[in-house]
Amino acid sequence: MTDLSQYLPILIFLGIAVGLSALFVFLPMGVSRLTGTHNPDAAKLSEYECGFPAFEDSRSQFDVRFYLVAILFIIFDLEAAFLFPWAVSLQDIGWAGWTTMMVFLAELALGLVYAWKKGALDWE
Amino acid sequence: MIQTIAFYLFATLVIASGALTVFARNPVHSVLWLILAFFNAAGLMILLGAEFIAMLLIIVYVGAVAVLFLFVVMMLDVDFAELRAGFVRYLPLGALLAIVLAVEIVFAIGAWSAGAINMGARIAPVASDVSNTQAIGQLLYTRYIFLFEAAGIILLVAMVGAIVLTHRKRGGVKPQDIGHQVRRRPEDATRLTRPESGQGVEL
Repeated sequence: MTDLSQYLPILIFLGIAVGLSALFVFLPMGVSRLTGTHNPDAAKLSEYECGFPAFEDSRSQFDVRFYLVAILFIIFDLEAAFLFPWAVSLQDIGWAGWTTMMVFLAELALGLVYAWKKGALDWE
Repeated sequence: MIQTIAFYLFATLVIASGALTVFARNPVHSVLWLILAFFNAAGLMILLGAEFIAMLLIIVYVGAVAVLFLFVVMMLDVDFAELRAGFVRYLPLGALLAIVLAVEIVFAIGAWSAGAINMGARIAPVASDVSNTQAIGQLLYTRYIFLFEAAGIILLVAMVGAIVLTHRKRGGVKPQDIGHQVRRRPEDATRLTRPESGQGVEL
């Protein structure tokens, strides 16, 4: 169990964020009820002017290229995550640790070159 | 006191959202419950003092893996009637997995009540005067260098595998080739002629 008082600022930020977003949602609702403009109607929820009824279900199949982009993002996200403890402890691990990370970066740079050359980063 | 309250809050929410991940009818809702479970697991990690793992859970699992799950679920072309069919057919396999997991839980409880092994403390004693992230860095890039580089190789293989599996050249598209455009000289593209009056230009 760790000392949680250091996370108090984060809790305060969270509280302010939740309070503000609740205000944005509920204040207009309350004001419209109090001023008498709250008058729900089925026609108000229907498509009008520049809208049209949906042609089909929105759950259609995606292109598999989105998946490739997401996988490449995960890999470089992990690479960036490994950089954090390295950067913090670079004073203690010295040149050996520095070389370790450079080899790791070179491995993933190789992958980046492969992806680039195969055209996996291009959309068309 | 506040730690205990926070622990029970996070633990209850993890278990509840894990159960809802399993029981939700809609796979997209399942993934959303899974994201909630990840967030609460990150809270548990913070309670344990493992801030780096907690941040990794949020950045990597919520930010990337859950999004990938959403892509997969949305690409599956889910038919809800078909999802509910085949219960009897998959029952033996599901029951087998459930039995294996139950046996593992029994083993884990047995090992836990037999006392701590403290394997980690023997191999790599935790330095108490540095932060969690720094302690990970001091060990990961020096003592566990081969595991770390192997992780890099695994990521490389994953990247190559994903490209090989999903990338294919599409016919009929006209991509922009900037080098080709820049290489093109005016002499290749235009022609100056001086036609006689009354005669056309031969193209």
